[in-house]
Amino acid sequence: MTGDDALLRVIDLTKQYAVRRGTPVQALPGLSMDLADGEFVCMVGPSGCGKTTLLKILAGIVTPTSGELRYRGQAITGAQQSMGVVFQAPVLMPWLTILENVLLPAKVLGLERRAAQASAMELLALVGLQNFEAKYPFELSGGMQQRAAIVRSLIHDPAILLMDEPFGALDALTRERMNVELQRIWMARRKTVFLITHSIPEAVFLADRVIVMSPRPGRILREFAIPFPRPRDIELTGTTEFGDYTRAIRALLDAQGDIG
Amino acid sequence: MSGTVRTPLREQPYFKPLLGVISIVLGLAVWFAAVSWGGIPDYVLPQPVAVFHALIDGLSGSPFDRVSFWYHWIDTTETTLLGFLIGAVMGVGLAAIMAESVVFQSIVFPYVVILQSLPKIAIAPLFVIWFGYHIESKVAMATTLALFPILLNSLQGFTTTDRDRVEVMTALKATRWQIFRYVKLPSALPLIFAGLGLGIVYAQLGALVAEFVGAQTGMGVLITQLQSVTDTAGVFAVLVVLAATGYVLITMMRLLQQRVVFWERGSRRGVDG
Repeated sequence: MTGDDALLRVIDLTKQYAVRRGTPVQALPGLSMDLADGEFVCMVGPSGCGKTTLLKILAGIVTPTSGELRYRGQAITGAQQSMGVVFQAPVLMPWLTILENVLLPAKVLGLERRAAQASAMELLALVGLQNFEAKYPFELSGGMQQRAAIVRSLIHDPAILLMDEPFGALDALTRERMNVELQRIWMARRKTVFLITHSIPEAVFLADRVIVMSPRPGRILREFAIPFPRPRDIELTGTTEFGDYTRAIRALLDAQGDIG
Repeated sequence: MSGTVRTPLREQPYFKPLLGVISIVLGLAVWFAAVSWGGIPDYVLPQPVAVFHALIDGLSGSPFDRVSFWYHWIDTTETTLLGFLIGAVMGVGLAAIMAESVVFQSIVFPYVVILQSLPKIAIAPLFVIWFGYHIESKVAMATTLALFPILLNSLQGFTTTDRDRVEVMTALKATRWQIFRYVKLPSALPLIFAGLGLGIVYAQLGALVAEFVGAQTGMGVLITQLQSVTDTAGVFAVLVVLAATGYVLITMMRLLQQRVVFWERGSRRGVDG
């Protein structure tokens, strides 16, 4: 990719955290990457390699020390309406119903209420949460809460969906199901997705491209293009071809030694 | 073989309330015995029956009669509620501004620390000098005592918002006001209500202290009057009314808390101010 056709360009992004004593901690030593329009990119790497910092910079939550972000060729800083974020925990507001929770971005961004409500109902149906809109978060299971969080991240129709280990807190079975579900949502909505995960199989199953990070300070070790046709079935994870990719990525990470 | 298993007595639903009732009845019996045969004089500990009579006497008077409990009760309760309301508005308001503005917090905090370190009851005579023997000085005392638990708990609530919740808003380009209105304020509600629950108890305490120090009406005044004529049964009767009032106020706050902060299971205890 030359870069100009990229939806999002990340150019030499660095982040240093000041510490009380000694040299500042290098959380991100200068990272460049591109996201193409409609692409599903997963990033895997050991804990502390800076991938969450990267995602928070993309989301406008953390300010980078240096470097540049370009969205459709334009330099951007801070939070953007073109991004939707899903965190590891659902982070729903417990005092709001599911519908009110997923409409919160619409309220903050001042979107037209009736249109937002219609699209909320449609998205809730897409993730299988129809008839749950009037419930409160504590009445839903962890998986259902995370689905509501995904709807919330999509309600303002962002071009890019940023996901930080969105299924890390779920049990293995629910996680598998959510992976299939996410693929379905992605295929229906055709967003560009940037997803961070610890799970190599999850990355290979979901991604068009897997970016593998080194331990701190995190650099991109290698990228793997994942060619499996879509929609991918969970059966795929049992095939030798799938295993070839997961093994190659694991070997690459193992060669780095310490995996957090 | 019979399939029924007997529930142990301890696990019966009536076990705890039953023990409570037995405990009260036993306490009254010990009290009665101590006064009747224990040689404790009436002015130290009156007969339970005498307290009961004093209670009926006090409660059956007209609210416009100075010897009626109601006359004083209305005054004290009004003071309590007014002091609580002013303390609540000031406490939550100041806490919100302190949480949002480091400058304001730094300016106000020394005063908070000084006033907090001071046994606040000691200010009561000063309030009498400033505001006289009327309701103003009583409300000032009730407000002063109610303010601190409300202020400190609210401040804690506003400043300990879950960072993830704020990040959800930051990623949406939310303004500071939006973050406060949609996330920080509701997040703080459990602790604000913990403070309010303490605040109402302290407001009542403040009203009574002010009435002891210098006032013309109120339950505190009534107690002082009854004490001066060694009407111990009367003092006990007033204490019963005060306890009942306190119970009603606390219960009302708890019900309100459960309604407003419905998502919190089990109410939190506040930090004492």
